[in-house]
This record gives sequence, C-alpha cells and structure tokens, in this order.
Amino acid sequence: MADKKRVLVSALIGGLLTVAVSAGGNADLVKQGEKIFNTKKIGNCLACHDANGKKINNPGNLGPKLQGLSAWPAEALYAKVYDPYQGNPISAMPAFGKNGVLDDAQIKAVVAYLKTIK
Amino acid sequence: MRRVMSRVSVMAVVAVSILGAGNFNAQAEKDRKALEVYMLKKFENPLKNRNAYFPYATDDELKNNIQPVKKVEDFRLGSYAFNKGGLEQYNELNEMPPYEDAIDEGEELYNKKFKNGKSLKSCFPNPEIAGDYPKFDDKKGEVVTITSAINDCLVANGEKPWNMKKGKIAKVEAYFASKSKEAGKKVNIQINSKAAAEAYERGKKEYYTQRGYLQLSCANCHVQGAGQRVRKEYLSPLIGHTTHFPVYRLKWQGLGTLERRLGGCEKNQGEKPHKPNSKWDKELLYFMAYMSNGLPVDGPDIRK
Ligand code: HEC
Ligand code: HEC
Repeated sequence: MADKKRVLVSALIGGLLTVAVSAGGNADLVKQGEKIFNTKKIGNCLACHDANGKKINNPGNLGPKLQGLSAWPAEALYAKVYDPYQGNPISAMPAFGKNGVLDDAQIKAVVAYLKTIK
Repeated sequence: MRRVMSRVSVMAVVAVSILGAGNFNAQAEKDRKALEVYMLKKFENPLKNRNAYFPYATDDELKNNIQPVKKVEDFRLGSYAFNKGGLEQYNELNEMPPYEDAIDEGEELYNKKFKNGKSLKSCFPNPEIAGDYPKFDDKKGEVVTITSAINDCLVANGEKPWNMKKGKIAKVEAYFASKSKEAGKKVNIQINSKAAAEAYERGKKEYYTQRGYLQLSCANCHVQGAGQRVRKEYLSPLIGHTTHFPVYRLKWQGLGTLERRLGGCEKNQGEKPHKPNSKWDKELLYFMAYMSNGLPVDGPDIRK
C-alpha cells in the first residue's frame, strides 16, 4: 500500500514536472516562432503579414493581417504553413514545409507563436 | 460582275495577309490587351475595388496613398504610378538625376573605336533603338536583347564581351534609352515568325511558373500582387517593367540593366538566378517587353 502510494506520488510529481517543462518550453517555443516569423532569412512571414496585437516592423499586405488564430486548431495552422495549396490551390503564400524552407520543429515553433495571435 | 470579282479578290488578299505576316503576334496581342484591361480596372478606383484587388490593404492606404491610374502609359513609372508617397520621393530624386554622367559616358563608348577601327556605332548606326529590343533573330533562331546585341557586336569585332549587369553596358544602354526617349520612341516589340511566337510563349510560361524554394511566380508579385506590399515596398505592375531601363538604383548606388534586376527578383523567389545571357532570361524579357508594347521609352530612370 505504502509502495503504491509512493508510485502514485512520484507519478504525480513526474506529471507536474512535464507540465512545468512544457510551459517553460512553450514560452521559448513562442519566442523562437516569433523570431522565425520576423526574420528575413528564415520565415519572413512579415513580408506579407501583419499580426493583430503584435508590434511588427513594416509588415506587408500581400497576405491578410493575421487575427483570431488562437482559435485555430494547431493542426490547421501547421497545415497552412506546411502547404497552403492544400486549402487554397491558387494561394500566393509559399509552402514552407513542403518546400523544405522550415523543418518540422521550426513550423511547430511558428504555430506556437501563431496561437498567441488574438 | 467585275465589281463582284474585285471584291472577292480584295477579300482573298485580306485573307492571305491575315494568314501570312502579322498574325504571329495574335496571341501575344490578346495577352497584352487582357493585362492592360486588368491593370486599368484594378487601379481605376482602388478603394471601390478593394474586394476584387486589394483585399488586405488598410482603409488609410486605399484612401490616402494608392492613387487611381487613368492611362496605361503611366505604368512606365512602376509603383510610382499609384504610390503617392513614393512619387514625391521619386520627384525629389529626379531633380538631380544621378545618371546624367552615365549617358555622356555611354555616348563616348558608343563612338569609341575598337582595335579594328570600327565601333558600336558601326553595329548600331541609329542609337534610337531602346524600344525595339528584345528582338527575335530568325537567322539565329533566338531572342536577342539589347544587352546581348551589344556584346555580340563586341565579340564580332574581336573585343572582349562586357559584364551584362552593370558598368559599360548599362552606360551605353542609358545613352540608347535617352536618345530614344528624346525622339519620342515607343516600345515596339515584333513577333514575326512561328519560332518567335514560340519563344514568346515560353517566356510567358516562365513568368507564370511558381519557382524557387518559396514557390512564387513573377506574376504572384507583379500581376496579382501589383499594388500590394511586400513589407513596406509597393509592388509594381508587369506593364511598364521594361520601359525605363537601365535604372540607377539607390540600393546599387549605380546603374543596372534589366538583367541585373531580374537576378534580384529571382533571389526574392528563393531561386539561384539564371545567367543574363541565358535563353531563359532572354525569352522572359521578350515576353515582358511585349507586355509594354506601345508605351513610351522612358529611360534611364531612378528607383529605390
Ligand atoms: C509571399 C507572401 C506570403 C508569405 C511570405 C507568407 N504568407 Fe501567409 N498568406 C499569404 C496569402 C496571400 C494568404 C491568403 C491566401 C491563403 O489563405 O492561402 C496567406 C494566409 C495565411 C494564413 C491564413 C490566414 C487566414 O486568416 O486565413 C496563415 C495562418 C498564414 N498565412 C501564416 C503565415 C506564416 C506563419 C508565414 C511564415 C512562415 C507566412 N504566412 C508567410 C501570403 C504569404
Ligand atoms: C516576393 C515578391 C517578388 C517576386 C516573386 C518577384 N519580384 Fe520583381 N520586384 C519585387 C519588389 C519588392 C520590387 C521592387 C519594387 C517594385 O518596383 O516593384 C520588384 C521590382 C521588379 C522590377 C523593377 C521594376 C522597376 O520599375 O524598377 C522588375 C523588372 C521585376 N521586379 C521583375 C521580376 C521578375 C521577372 C520576376 C520573376 C522572375 C519577379 N520580379 C519576381 C518583388 C518580387
């Protein structure tokens, strides 16, 4: 019984730890995504997009001002950045994943940042 | 009876001439007119046309910065045709045009004797030719740009070819452009054979093909994208793209040819640029120049 309890407790601590790590990781991920969004040689999203509620330095308007993305499922955002032609065959947006501009980890970071756009 | 006969024969002559020379540009002419209609419609009233053409522009820029464009000739100014803020800056820069010396130096190079006693002038007796290139050379079976024609002349006379992006070639082109402009010349691209029409079609296809790791096409930015912004830069329309080269670019701190500009935009697409003397560059420029047919030659000019 005591053994069982100990297992449970350590499992709980373990669980808490995971949560804590992913919360800290998430903040880092958002930051990383923001950098990709705003850096010319990486994502360069700001060339075409403004983002609601963010301070963006001279955003373009070849694409829409991004808003309400916090309500999008992460998978939908991932899909959009990976390959916008899936949803919109004549999109003027580059396919960042499919064309190998951004790798899986980078797209996940961008998605974490997009999820903070109200 | 005689009247009928003669009418029939007149019709026969007309039919022959339609099938013969002059018909190879039919498709190109259709494309050019369609593009003209598109651009004039787009810029007729940007605020009113928001939904169709400027879905992501702010009210402020549609009301205060993007001006209507009434005449297709105005597109020779590139984005300054509609970008009011930019036009003011452009006019200021043009008060002291930084390309004037280059025109004079170009004239000297044009008259300067080669080792064999000839000169560029021997190849191009009339310098008012900026609007006539690119041409399709039916004997060679390929497109000749003004830039490649100058180098062909040098090589044919035992001289070394020049850099096709800047320097001497740009200066000679500046001289040609300014003489052509003074003489009121217009862009006058000819498509007079089946082979020429095919070269045009290939150039057009490349223009609309998405490429580079970003998978953007020239048209993404300069047809659908014209009037929209990449960051704070307004995108200029395809019509008017070739009318005013060479340009002095502040970014370059010097003159550059169309070929030089193309290289920069291919980098925008995430692609390694093609060589200025490649078939690819030449056929693309043939298509692009045809889209400006009838516009006044307006070079050299200045751009950011
Ligand atoms: C060359 C221009 C361009 C670039 C660069 C670009 N986009 Fe886009 N984007 C567009 C266009 C045009 C649309 C609208 C058409 C569509 O939905 O495909 C769009 C749509 C979107 C949408 C959907 C918005 C909505 O409300 O439907 C998202 C999300 C998005 N982009 C994210 C990004 C991210 C993240 C990056 C960078 C990694 C990026 N974009 C880079 C042009 C661009
Ligand atoms: C990502 C967007 C983008 C793409 C794709 C692109 N361009 Fe550009 N282009 C620009 C920008 C920005 C400028 C500078 C502003 C302007 O004049 O439009 C420019 C300028 C030009 C100019 C100079 C216009 C002038 O009057 O000085 C030419 C010519 C041109 N582009 C041709 C091309 C060609 C040809 C292609 C395809 C091979 C292409 N562009 C692809 C963004 C792009």
